[in-house]
Amino acid sequence: MSTPPIQTGQVLTSQQKAQQFKLFEDSLPKVNQLAFQLLLNEVVPLSMAVEEKVFDDKIQVNESEDQTNQKAEDVDNSDASNITKDIEDKLHITPELDLPSHVLIHQISTTNAEKREGVIKRLQSIGFNIGSKLTELLVFKNNPNIRFKDAEVLLIMKFICRDVWKQIYGKQIDNLKTNHRGTFYLFDYDYRPIRNFVVDGDISDPSLLEKETSLAQPFLEIPIGIITGVLSSLGFKSEVVACKASFVDKPDGTSKLNFPKGVSFHIQIVNQ
Amino acid sequence: MSTTDKTSSSHSKSLKIIGDEIWKNKTEKINAELFAMTYGSIVSQLCQDFQRDYKKVNDQLFTMGYNIGVRLIEDFLARTAMPRCEDMVRTAEVISKCAFKIFLNISPQVSNWSPNKEAFSLIFPENPLSEFVELPMDATKDLWYSNILCGVMKGALEMVQLDCDVYFVSDVLRSEQQTEIRVKLNKVLRDEIPIGED
Amino acid sequence: MAIQTLLIINKSGGLIYHRNYAGEKNGLNSNDYLILASTLHSVFAIASQLTPQAVQLNAKRSSNSTDNNFSKGGEKIPYIPYVGMNANDSNNTTNKLNKLGSFMGDDYFKESFVSWNKGGLRQLSTDHFTMFIYQTMTGMKFVAISSSVLRNTADPSHSGKSNTTANANGIQNSTTISYSTAQNSSSDYNSNSSNLQVQIADNFLRKIYCIYSDYVMKDPFYSLEMPIKSELFDKKVKQMVSNLE
Repeated sequence: MSTPPIQTGQVLTSQQKAQQFKLFEDSLPKVNQLAFQLLLNEVVPLSMAVEEKVFDDKIQVNESEDQTNQKAEDVDNSDASNITKDIEDKLHITPELDLPSHVLIHQISTTNAEKREGVIKRLQSIGFNIGSKLTELLVFKNNPNIRFKDAEVLLIMKFICRDVWKQIYGKQIDNLKTNHRGTFYLFDYDYRPIRNFVVDGDISDPSLLEKETSLAQPFLEIPIGIITGVLSSLGFKSEVVACKASFVDKPDGTSKLNFPKGVSFHIQIVNQ
Repeated sequence: MSTTDKTSSSHSKSLKIIGDEIWKNKTEKINAELFAMTYGSIVSQLCQDFQRDYKKVNDQLFTMGYNIGVRLIEDFLARTAMPRCEDMVRTAEVISKCAFKIFLNISPQVSNWSPNKEAFSLIFPENPLSEFVELPMDATKDLWYSNILCGVMKGALEMVQLDCDVYFVSDVLRSEQQTEIRVKLNKVLRDEIPIGED
Repeated sequence: MAIQTLLIINKSGGLIYHRNYAGEKNGLNSNDYLILASTLHSVFAIASQLTPQAVQLNAKRSSNSTDNNFSKGGEKIPYIPYVGMNANDSNNTTNKLNKLGSFMGDDYFKESFVSWNKGGLRQLSTDHFTMFIYQTMTGMKFVAISSSVLRNTADPSHSGKSNTTANANGIQNSTTISYSTAQNSSSDYNSNSSNLQVQIADNFLRKIYCIYSDYVMKDPFYSLEMPIKSELFDKKVKQMVSNLE
């Protein structure tokens, strides 16, 4: 490879900048991608488990208020047991476990609309949080791919397709479409978190695909949150952004072996 | 070089070398900061959901970890083909030098052994989960921010038939001197050890 | 070594995966496979109790020897380069990122390892086939049935790569106590060639375990200990089986 010598004062070529950036990125602290992948996927069943608990809590609020009063009395009465309890609390040994993750994932598609709404909101909120912090991580680190002088929305979309996706999912968005009037479609034909998903059932049964997509749907909520989070941190507040995700057919030539459908993220930015 | 040399030398390799080598050559890596901020987003969501009832947050993080641990262990075993540890001393070394190294690129120190050598502490000079974290005041008493680690270890150890308690003793995030996780063996689940191992 | 059948048995003896790669039907239906799995599971357990006292003592002694704290009495299985890997793959992928699922590099592992299966059934042979069993520390069994017959000397048709492994194997014999029950019962058992077969099988089955840990364990829909449906897993396994032929 012929890299022209860098002269002081001379503007770096884009290739050199890219190289520099790559070196810089490589030098950052790392963890195992698997740890990250498992963490990210586990957020979905987690959200369902939390929903069940929070939902129950809402109902039990009145009851528990009574109990708290009662507890206060108990504490006064028995100092000794209180101390043991304190120690136990401090150590906090193994808590009661939730249902296994795959059961919780199934529950999301069978639970009532209210709870499902709660799960989706929770997932998007976590994604939003990740997205807005991620912008900071990527934008302010000398990334040559990023030039947002006027916060031009197309550039931001490209940034999401390229840098954000690469960072989180290890690949770029496969296709970006826009009408240049605030509507964008981001296509990912091999969306990593669901790449290996398989649902139990007869492959020849046409309703299986439906079942698969409905179970996989919650896994699209985190990236929705991430997209809106990134946009928000770059000046497009969530009030003017609508984002939803749906499954689309994969174009010819992409792998049919992985999850049978691609994902389309539809982003609508309302003129301010 | 003959394959023979390679064979015998790889057997006498220390655990540290095994861990380092797998981390270096066999592991796909991602930015630690992304990992930390993702975990942070999860914790902060939980704090909000449970309305700052931090004990509930601890439990939820633990459960989440458990669910990861029971799967992660297969990956670890497939990758390392680690033989069964004959005692907890060895187990502690494997957790520190191999498991933490491979998944989080850290090697916590093993210390504070109980006299019967069945309980030990892992001291974390660095913790990639909480690199940039500052706990809100009200959380410093009850929240174990990185409690997911306890759950992961609990789940993973259980799958190799070790029933253990795993819990945080202290955390620098709470302005305590060091970050310490205690691992205490309750019992070896002998009945569940696959037949044919001994 | 052509693999005819592959079985995966969970820790309670339930069959969670089976594929038949031989073209012709072998006359077993799904139910037969279930029975085969649970029978193997029981026989495996019984076999481990058959281990003669002397061998048990021997094993203990070798585990006490301190020269090598890695092996602790288990049998060392040498790494046999690129078992089940596609020879062309290693050339193709040099320009791309070298990766096998989440395993970096051109092979799943590159070092010798210790079998977790010490006292259980390792192999079972008839005049027509050989069965190999690899058991994980979590209690799963990966079972391969091969058409190669152990009594024959090493099959030269293994592809060029396995030739390089023959010498590794020779050394290995000296350090190995084989107390796998079926092996001992075979009277005219040729230790050299059959050991190589066993080692290839162990290398192969550990790789299936690697693929399992990658494609099955990371599918959040998968419920532990239940049948494996992953097409991707299916494909990767099939590929490895065909590379082995």
